[in-house]
Amino acid sequence: MQQLFTPDFGLMIWTVVTFLLLVLILGRYGWRPLIDAIEARERTLREEREAAEKARLEAQRIEAELKAGLAAIDAKAQQVMARAAQEAEALRQKHTAQAQADAKRLLDKARAELEEEKRRLVVELRSEVGRLAIAATEKIVRKTVDEGVQKGAL
Amino acid sequence: MLDFSEIIVHHLADRPLARLGANLHWTKHMTMSGLAFLLSAVVVVQGARSNGKLHTALEAFVTLIREEIVRPALGHDTDTFLPYFLTLFTFIFSMNLLGLVPFGASATGNISVTAALSLLTLLLINGAGIWRHGFFRHFKNLIPHGVPFWVVPLIFAIELMGYFTKCLALCIRLFANMTAGHLVILLFLGLILLFGQANPWTGLFIAPISVGLALGLYALELLVALIQAYVFTMLTAIFVGGALHPEH
Repeated sequence: MQQLFTPDFGLMIWTVVTFLLLVLILGRYGWRPLIDAIEARERTLREEREAAEKARLEAQRIEAELKAGLAAIDAKAQQVMARAAQEAEALRQKHTAQAQADAKRLLDKARAELEEEKRRLVVELRSEVGRLAIAATEKIVRKTVDEGVQKGAL
Repeated sequence: MLDFSEIIVHHLADRPLARLGANLHWTKHMTMSGLAFLLSAVVVVQGARSNGKLHTALEAFVTLIREEIVRPALGHDTDTFLPYFLTLFTFIFSMNLLGLVPFGASATGNISVTAALSLLTLLLINGAGIWRHGFFRHFKNLIPHGVPFWVVPLIFAIELMGYFTKCLALCIRLFANMTAGHLVILLFLGLILLFGQANPWTGLFIAPISVGLALGLYALELLVALIQAYVFTMLTAIFVGGALHPEH
Protein backbone atom coordinates (compact mmCIF):
# COMPACT_ATOMS: atom_id res chain seq x y z
CA MET A 1 0.00 0.00 0.00
CA GLN A 2 2.90 2.29 0.83
CA GLN A 3 3.87 2.19 -2.85
CA LEU A 4 0.70 4.10 -3.80
CA PHE A 5 1.93 7.18 -1.92
CA THR A 6 5.64 7.05 -2.68
CA PRO A 7 6.65 9.91 -4.98
CA ASP A 8 8.63 8.95 -8.04
CA PHE A 9 10.71 11.92 -9.20
CA GLY A 10 11.46 10.34 -12.54
CA LEU A 11 7.74 10.08 -13.25
CA MET A 12 7.16 13.65 -12.03
CA ILE A 13 9.82 15.02 -14.36
CA TRP A 14 8.51 12.85 -17.19
CA THR A 15 4.97 14.17 -16.60
CA VAL A 16 6.11 17.81 -16.51
CA VAL A 17 8.16 17.38 -19.69
CA THR A 18 5.46 15.55 -21.66
CA PHE A 19 2.79 17.99 -20.54
CA LEU A 20 4.82 21.10 -21.38
CA LEU A 21 5.77 19.56 -24.72
CA LEU A 22 2.10 18.87 -25.36
CA VAL A 23 1.25 22.49 -24.47
CA LEU A 24 3.84 23.68 -27.01
CA ILE A 25 2.87 21.28 -29.78
CA LEU A 26 -0.89 21.66 -29.40
CA GLY A 27 -0.55 25.39 -28.83
CA ARG A 28 1.03 25.77 -32.22
CA TYR A 29 -0.44 23.00 -34.38
CA GLY A 30 -3.68 22.12 -32.61
CA TRP A 31 -5.41 24.84 -30.65
CA ARG A 32 -4.13 27.81 -32.64
CA PRO A 33 -5.79 26.81 -35.95
CA LEU A 34 -8.95 25.81 -34.09
CA ILE A 35 -9.13 29.08 -32.13
CA ASP A 36 -8.42 31.02 -35.33
CA ALA A 37 -11.24 29.19 -37.11
CA ILE A 38 -13.64 29.89 -34.24
CA GLU A 39 -12.65 33.55 -34.09
CA ALA A 40 -12.98 33.93 -37.86
CA ARG A 41 -16.47 32.47 -37.70
CA GLU A 42 -17.40 34.64 -34.73
CA ARG A 43 -16.09 37.69 -36.56
CA THR A 44 -18.12 36.80 -39.67
CA LEU A 45 -21.22 36.31 -37.56
CA ARG A 46 -20.67 39.60 -35.75
CA GLU A 47 -20.12 41.45 -39.01
CA GLU A 48 -23.21 39.89 -40.53
CA ARG A 49 -25.23 40.83 -37.48
CA GLU A 50 -23.94 44.38 -37.62
CA ALA A 51 -24.68 44.57 -41.35
CA ALA A 52 -28.20 43.27 -40.74
CA GLU A 53 -28.66 45.83 -37.98
CA LYS A 54 -27.43 48.59 -40.26
CA ALA A 55 -29.77 47.43 -43.05
CA ARG A 56 -32.64 47.40 -40.57
CA LEU A 57 -31.89 50.96 -39.47
CA GLU A 58 -31.61 52.04 -43.10
CA ALA A 59 -34.95 50.42 -43.89
CA GLN A 60 -36.47 52.18 -40.89
CA ARG A 61 -35.08 55.49 -42.06
CA ILE A 62 -36.44 54.96 -45.59
CA GLU A 63 -39.79 53.93 -44.19
CA ALA A 64 -39.94 57.08 -42.07
CA GLU A 65 -38.96 59.15 -45.08
CA LEU A 66 -41.64 57.52 -47.21
CA LYS A 67 -44.20 58.04 -44.49
CA ALA A 68 -43.27 61.70 -44.23
CA GLY A 69 -43.46 62.03 -48.02
CA LEU A 70 -46.83 60.32 -48.08
CA ALA A 71 -48.10 62.60 -45.33
CA ALA A 72 -46.93 65.66 -47.28
CA ILE A 73 -48.61 64.38 -50.42
CA ASP A 74 -51.75 63.67 -48.44
CA ALA A 75 -51.78 67.17 -46.99
CA LYS A 76 -51.23 68.66 -50.42
CA ALA A 77 -54.06 66.58 -51.88
CA GLN A 78 -56.32 67.73 -49.06
CA GLN A 79 -55.40 71.31 -49.80
CA VAL A 80 -56.06 70.90 -53.52
CA MET A 81 -59.36 69.19 -52.84
CA ALA A 82 -60.42 71.94 -50.46
CA ARG A 83 -59.53 74.60 -52.96
CA ALA A 84 -61.35 72.76 -55.73
CA ALA A 85 -64.43 72.46 -53.56
CA GLN A 86 -64.22 76.13 -52.71
CA GLU A 87 -63.87 77.08 -56.35
CA ALA A 88 -66.73 74.80 -57.31
CA GLU A 89 -68.89 76.40 -54.68
CA ALA A 90 -68.00 79.86 -55.88
CA LEU A 91 -68.73 78.87 -59.46
CA ARG A 92 -71.99 77.32 -58.48
CA GLN A 93 -73.04 80.42 -56.61
CA LYS A 94 -72.03 82.60 -59.54
CA HIS A 95 -73.97 80.48 -61.97
CA THR A 96 -77.00 80.33 -59.72
CA ALA A 97 -77.04 84.10 -59.35
CA GLN A 98 -76.70 84.56 -63.06
CA ALA A 99 -79.43 82.07 -63.80
CA GLN A 100 -81.71 83.73 -61.31
CA ALA A 101 -80.94 87.10 -62.84
CA ASP A 102 -81.60 85.76 -66.31
CA ALA A 103 -84.87 84.22 -65.25
CA LYS A 104 -85.92 87.43 -63.60
CA ARG A 105 -85.01 89.43 -66.66
CA LEU A 106 -87.02 87.07 -68.88
CA LEU A 107 -89.93 87.19 -66.51
CA ASP A 108 -89.87 90.97 -66.36
CA LYS A 109 -89.68 91.16 -70.08
CA ALA A 110 -92.61 88.81 -70.50
CA ARG A 111 -94.55 90.70 -67.92
CA ALA A 112 -93.85 94.04 -69.64
CA GLU A 113 -94.86 92.60 -72.95
CA LEU A 114 -98.05 91.28 -71.48
CA GLU A 115 -98.78 94.64 -69.92
CA GLU A 116 -98.18 96.37 -73.22
CA GLU A 117 -100.47 93.96 -75.02
CA LYS A 118 -103.13 94.47 -72.43
CA ARG A 119 -102.95 98.21 -72.74
CA ARG A 120 -103.10 97.97 -76.51
CA LEU A 121 -106.08 95.67 -76.27
CA VAL A 122 -107.85 97.99 -73.86
CA VAL A 123 -107.31 100.95 -76.18
CA GLU A 124 -108.45 98.93 -79.11
CA LEU A 125 -111.47 97.70 -77.23
CA ARG A 126 -112.27 101.15 -76.04
CA SER A 127 -112.13 102.58 -79.57
CA GLU A 128 -114.12 99.65 -80.86
CA VAL A 129 -116.73 100.14 -78.17
CA GLY A 130 -116.87 103.83 -78.96
CA ARG A 131 -117.22 103.13 -82.61
CA LEU A 132 -119.94 100.58 -81.96
CA ALA A 133 -121.73 102.98 -79.68
CA ILE A 134 -121.60 105.70 -82.27
CA ALA A 135 -122.80 103.33 -84.90
CA ALA A 136 -125.60 102.11 -82.74
CA THR A 137 -126.54 105.61 -81.78
CA GLU A 138 -126.52 106.65 -85.39
CA LYS A 139 -128.69 103.72 -86.30
CA ILE A 140 -131.14 104.42 -83.55
CA VAL A 141 -131.14 108.07 -84.21
CA ARG A 142 -131.57 107.55 -87.87
CA LYS A 143 -134.39 105.14 -87.25
CA THR A 144 -136.16 107.37 -84.83
CA VAL A 145 -135.61 110.42 -86.85
CA ASP A 146 -136.71 108.73 -89.98
CA GLU A 147 -139.85 107.37 -88.47
CA GLY A 148 -140.72 110.62 -86.71
CA VAL A 149 -139.89 112.69 -89.70
CA GLN A 150 -141.78 110.49 -91.96
CA LYS A 151 -144.65 110.28 -89.57
CA GLY A 152 -144.62 113.96 -89.11
CA ALA A 153 -144.31 114.49 -92.68
CA LEU A 154 -147.16 112.29 -93.25
CA MET B 1 -5.02 -16.83 1.91
CA LEU B 2 -5.91 -13.94 -0.41
CA ASP B 3 -3.84 -10.79 0.13
CA PHE B 4 -5.95 -7.85 -1.02
CA SER B 5 -3.27 -5.26 -0.58
CA GLU B 6 -1.07 -7.35 -2.86
CA ILE B 7 -3.78 -7.27 -5.56
CA ILE B 8 -4.40 -3.56 -5.13
CA VAL B 9 -0.74 -2.66 -5.33
CA HIS B 10 -0.32 -4.94 -8.32
CA HIS B 11 -3.14 -3.21 -10.20
CA LEU B 12 -2.89 0.39 -9.05
CA ALA B 13 0.72 1.10 -8.15
CA ASP B 14 3.32 1.95 -10.73
CA ARG B 15 5.59 -0.82 -11.93
CA PRO B 16 9.07 -0.47 -13.38
CA LEU B 17 9.28 -1.86 -16.88
CA ALA B 18 12.88 -1.17 -17.73
CA ARG B 19 15.93 0.08 -15.90
CA LEU B 20 17.29 3.40 -17.16
CA GLY B 21 19.83 4.28 -14.51
CA ALA B 22 20.86 3.65 -10.96
CA ASN B 23 17.62 4.90 -9.49
CA LEU B 24 15.65 5.55 -12.64
CA HIS B 25 13.19 3.18 -14.24
CA TRP B 26 10.91 3.35 -17.22
CA THR B 27 7.52 2.59 -15.65
CA LYS B 28 4.00 1.57 -16.57
CA HIS B 29 2.60 5.03 -15.79
CA MET B 30 5.29 6.70 -17.88
CA THR B 31 4.11 4.54 -20.76
CA MET B 32 0.48 5.45 -20.10
CA SER B 33 1.11 9.21 -19.87
CA GLY B 34 3.28 8.92 -22.98
CA LEU B 35 0.36 7.23 -24.73
CA ALA B 36 -1.96 9.98 -23.49
CA PHE B 37 0.49 12.52 -24.91
CA LEU B 38 0.48 10.77 -28.30
CA LEU B 39 -3.28 10.29 -28.30
CA SER B 40 -3.95 13.97 -27.48
CA ALA B 41 -1.39 15.21 -29.99
CA VAL B 42 -2.61 13.01 -32.83
CA VAL B 43 -6.33 13.61 -32.24
CA VAL B 44 -6.10 17.37 -31.77
CA VAL B 45 -3.57 18.10 -34.53
CA GLN B 46 -5.40 15.78 -36.91
CA GLY B 47 -8.73 17.36 -36.01
CA ALA B 48 -7.37 20.87 -36.45
CA ARG B 49 -6.11 19.99 -39.93
CA SER B 50 -9.15 18.10 -41.12
CA ASN B 51 -12.39 19.74 -42.09
CA GLY B 52 -14.79 17.07 -40.90
CA LYS B 53 -16.72 16.09 -37.83
CA LEU B 54 -13.63 15.88 -35.61
CA HIS B 55 -12.84 19.49 -36.43
CA THR B 56 -16.40 20.53 -35.54
CA ALA B 57 -16.30 18.53 -32.30
CA LEU B 58 -12.96 20.09 -31.31
CA GLU B 59 -14.27 23.57 -32.07
CA ALA B 60 -17.24 22.88 -29.81
CA PHE B 61 -14.84 21.63 -27.12
CA VAL B 62 -12.60 24.71 -27.42
CA THR B 63 -15.64 26.99 -27.23
CA LEU B 64 -16.97 25.14 -24.18
CA ILE B 65 -13.67 25.35 -22.25
CA ARG B 66 -13.21 28.97 -23.27
CA GLU B 67 -16.71 30.17 -22.36
CA GLU B 68 -17.44 27.94 -19.35
CA ILE B 69 -14.05 27.69 -17.63
CA VAL B 70 -11.45 30.15 -18.83
CA ARG B 71 -13.38 33.33 -19.65
CA PRO B 72 -15.34 33.50 -16.36
CA ALA B 73 -12.05 33.14 -14.44
CA LEU B 74 -9.58 35.06 -16.59
CA GLY B 75 -11.71 37.66 -18.42
CA HIS B 76 -9.65 39.55 -20.98
CA ASP B 77 -6.59 37.34 -20.36
CA THR B 78 -8.50 34.38 -21.77
CA ASP B 79 -6.72 34.24 -25.14
CA THR B 80 -3.25 34.23 -23.56
CA PHE B 81 -3.86 31.20 -21.33
CA LEU B 82 -6.51 29.31 -23.29
CA PRO B 83 -4.09 26.82 -24.99
CA TYR B 84 -2.65 25.85 -21.57
CA PHE B 85 -6.08 25.02 -20.13
CA LEU B 86 -7.22 23.20 -23.26
CA THR B 87 -4.08 21.06 -23.12
CA LEU B 88 -4.46 20.50 -19.37
CA PHE B 89 -8.00 19.20 -19.82
CA THR B 90 -7.10 17.06 -22.83
CA PHE B 91 -4.04 15.53 -21.17
CA ILE B 92 -5.78 14.68 -17.88
CA PHE B 93 -8.86 13.38 -19.69
CA SER B 94 -6.74 11.18 -21.98
CA MET B 95 -4.85 9.74 -19.01
CA ASN B 96 -8.12 9.12 -17.15
CA LEU B 97 -9.65 7.39 -20.15
CA LEU B 98 -6.61 5.24 -20.86
CA GLY B 99 -7.02 3.86 -17.36
CA LEU B 100 -10.40 2.50 -18.41
CA VAL B 101 -9.08 0.69 -21.46
CA PRO B 102 -8.37 -3.04 -20.88
CA PHE B 103 -4.69 -3.59 -19.95
CA GLY B 104 -4.37 0.15 -19.48
CA ALA B 105 -3.62 2.03 -16.26
CA SER B 106 -4.58 5.46 -14.98
CA ALA B 107 -1.46 7.57 -14.83
CA THR B 108 -3.64 10.10 -13.00
CA GLY B 109 -4.12 7.44 -10.32
CA ASN B 110 -0.47 7.96 -9.50
CA ILE B 111 0.25 10.67 -6.98
CA SER B 112 3.51 11.64 -8.70
CA VAL B 113 1.66 12.48 -11.91
CA THR B 114 -1.00 14.57 -10.16
CA ALA B 115 1.68 16.19 -8.01
CA ALA B 116 3.61 17.18 -11.12
CA LEU B 117 0.48 18.68 -12.68
CA SER B 118 -0.48 20.63 -9.57
CA LEU B 119 3.12 21.80 -9.19
CA LEU B 120 2.75 23.27 -12.68
CA THR B 121 -0.48 24.90 -11.52
CA LEU B 122 1.37 26.42 -8.55
CA LEU B 123 4.08 27.72 -10.87
CA LEU B 124 1.48 29.07 -13.31
CA ILE B 125 -0.43 30.90 -10.55
CA ASN B 126 2.67 32.66 -9.29
CA GLY B 127 4.21 33.04 -12.73
CA ALA B 128 1.06 34.71 -14.07
CA GLY B 129 0.77 36.95 -10.98
CA ILE B 130 4.42 38.05 -11.16
CA TRP B 131 4.21 38.50 -14.96
CA ARG B 132 1.19 40.77 -14.52
CA HIS B 133 1.92 42.66 -11.30
CA GLY B 134 5.66 42.28 -10.70
CA PHE B 135 7.28 40.23 -7.94
CA PHE B 136 6.43 42.41 -4.90
CA ARG B 137 3.00 43.53 -6.02
CA HIS B 138 2.04 39.89 -6.67
CA PHE B 139 2.76 38.88 -3.10
CA LYS B 140 1.37 42.13 -1.73
CA ASN B 141 -1.90 41.23 -3.50
CA LEU B 142 -2.22 38.31 -1.08
CA ILE B 143 -3.20 40.76 1.64
CA PRO B 144 -6.71 42.17 1.33
CA HIS B 145 -7.24 45.92 1.64
CA GLY B 146 -8.14 47.43 4.99
CA VAL B 147 -6.50 44.80 7.16
CA PRO B 148 -5.00 46.15 10.41
CA PHE B 149 -1.20 46.19 10.11
CA TRP B 150 -0.61 43.83 13.01
CA VAL B 151 -2.50 40.95 11.34
CA VAL B 152 -0.74 41.47 8.02
CA PRO B 153 2.05 38.92 8.72
CA LEU B 154 -0.52 36.35 9.83
CA ILE B 155 -2.77 36.88 6.81
CA PHE B 156 0.25 36.81 4.51
CA ALA B 157 1.43 33.49 5.94
CA ILE B 158 -2.06 31.99 5.73
CA GLU B 159 -2.65 33.17 2.18
CA LEU B 160 0.77 31.99 1.05
CA MET B 161 0.07 28.61 2.61
CA GLY B 162 -3.29 28.75 0.82
CA TYR B 163 -1.49 28.56 -2.53
CA PHE B 164 0.19 25.35 -1.47
CA THR B 165 -2.87 23.78 0.11
CA LYS B 166 -4.97 24.58 -2.95
CA CYS B 167 -2.46 22.82 -5.16
CA LEU B 168 -2.08 19.97 -2.73
CA ALA B 169 -5.87 19.59 -2.76
CA LEU B 170 -5.80 19.50 -6.58
CA CYS B 171 -3.17 16.81 -6.47
CA ILE B 172 -4.95 14.65 -3.90
CA ARG B 173 -8.41 15.13 -5.44
CA LEU B 174 -7.45 13.83 -8.86
CA PHE B 175 -5.33 11.01 -7.46
CA ALA B 176 -7.97 9.93 -4.95
CA ASN B 177 -10.85 10.05 -7.42
CA MET B 178 -9.08 7.98 -10.02
CA THR B 179 -7.70 5.52 -7.47
CA ALA B 180 -10.97 5.14 -5.56
CA GLY B 181 -12.95 4.08 -8.61
CA HIS B 182 -10.39 1.44 -9.55
CA LEU B 183 -10.17 0.35 -5.95
CA VAL B 184 -13.90 -0.23 -5.63
CA ILE B 185 -14.04 -2.14 -8.93
CA LEU B 186 -11.16 -4.30 -7.70
CA LEU B 187 -12.97 -4.93 -4.43
CA PHE B 188 -16.21 -5.90 -6.18
CA LEU B 189 -14.35 -8.35 -8.39
CA GLY B 190 -12.28 -9.49 -5.41
CA LEU B 191 -15.50 -10.55 -3.69
CA ILE B 192 -15.74 -13.39 -6.21
CA LEU B 193 -12.33 -14.71 -5.15
CA LEU B 194 -13.08 -14.14 -1.48
CA PHE B 195 -16.33 -16.10 -1.60
CA GLY B 196 -14.85 -18.63 -3.99
CA GLN B 197 -12.14 -19.33 -1.46
CA ALA B 198 -14.77 -20.35 1.07
CA ASN B 199 -16.89 -22.30 -1.38
CA PRO B 200 -16.52 -22.37 -5.19
CA TRP B 201 -20.32 -22.45 -5.64
CA THR B 202 -20.81 -19.31 -3.56
CA GLY B 203 -18.12 -17.65 -5.65
CA LEU B 204 -19.93 -18.63 -8.82
CA PHE B 205 -23.20 -17.36 -7.38
CA ILE B 206 -21.71 -14.05 -6.33
CA ALA B 207 -19.91 -13.52 -9.68
CA PRO B 208 -22.83 -12.05 -11.73
CA ILE B 209 -23.64 -9.62 -8.92
CA SER B 210 -20.02 -8.54 -8.59
CA VAL B 211 -19.57 -8.13 -12.32
CA GLY B 212 -22.84 -6.17 -12.56
CA LEU B 213 -21.78 -3.82 -9.79
CA ALA B 214 -18.29 -3.45 -11.27
CA LEU B 215 -19.85 -2.64 -14.65
CA GLY B 216 -22.05 0.04 -13.09
CA LEU B 217 -19.03 1.50 -11.36
CA TYR B 218 -17.09 1.40 -14.61
CA ALA B 219 -19.83 3.54 -16.21
CA LEU B 220 -19.56 5.90 -13.27
CA GLU B 221 -15.79 6.04 -13.76
CA LEU B 222 -16.32 7.23 -17.33
CA LEU B 223 -18.23 10.13 -15.86
CA VAL B 224 -15.62 10.70 -13.15
CA ALA B 225 -12.87 10.75 -15.79
CA LEU B 226 -14.64 13.65 -17.46
CA ILE B 227 -15.64 15.45 -14.27
CA GLN B 228 -12.19 15.29 -12.67
CA ALA B 229 -10.49 16.61 -15.80
CA TYR B 230 -13.05 19.43 -15.81
CA VAL B 231 -12.62 20.16 -12.09
CA PHE B 232 -8.82 20.21 -12.24
CA THR B 233 -8.92 22.58 -15.22
CA MET B 234 -11.59 24.81 -13.72
CA LEU B 235 -9.89 25.16 -10.34
CA THR B 236 -6.55 25.91 -12.00
CA ALA B 237 -8.29 28.59 -14.06
CA ILE B 238 -9.90 30.09 -10.97
CA PHE B 239 -6.58 30.19 -9.07
CA VAL B 240 -4.74 31.76 -11.99
CA GLY B 241 -7.60 34.24 -12.44
CA GLY B 242 -7.31 35.12 -8.74
CA ALA B 243 -3.59 35.85 -9.14
CA LEU B 244 -4.17 37.94 -12.29
CA HIS B 245 -7.19 39.88 -10.99
CA PRO B 246 -6.80 40.01 -7.19
CA GLU B 247 -9.45 42.73 -6.97
CA HIS B 248 -12.20 40.18 -7.68
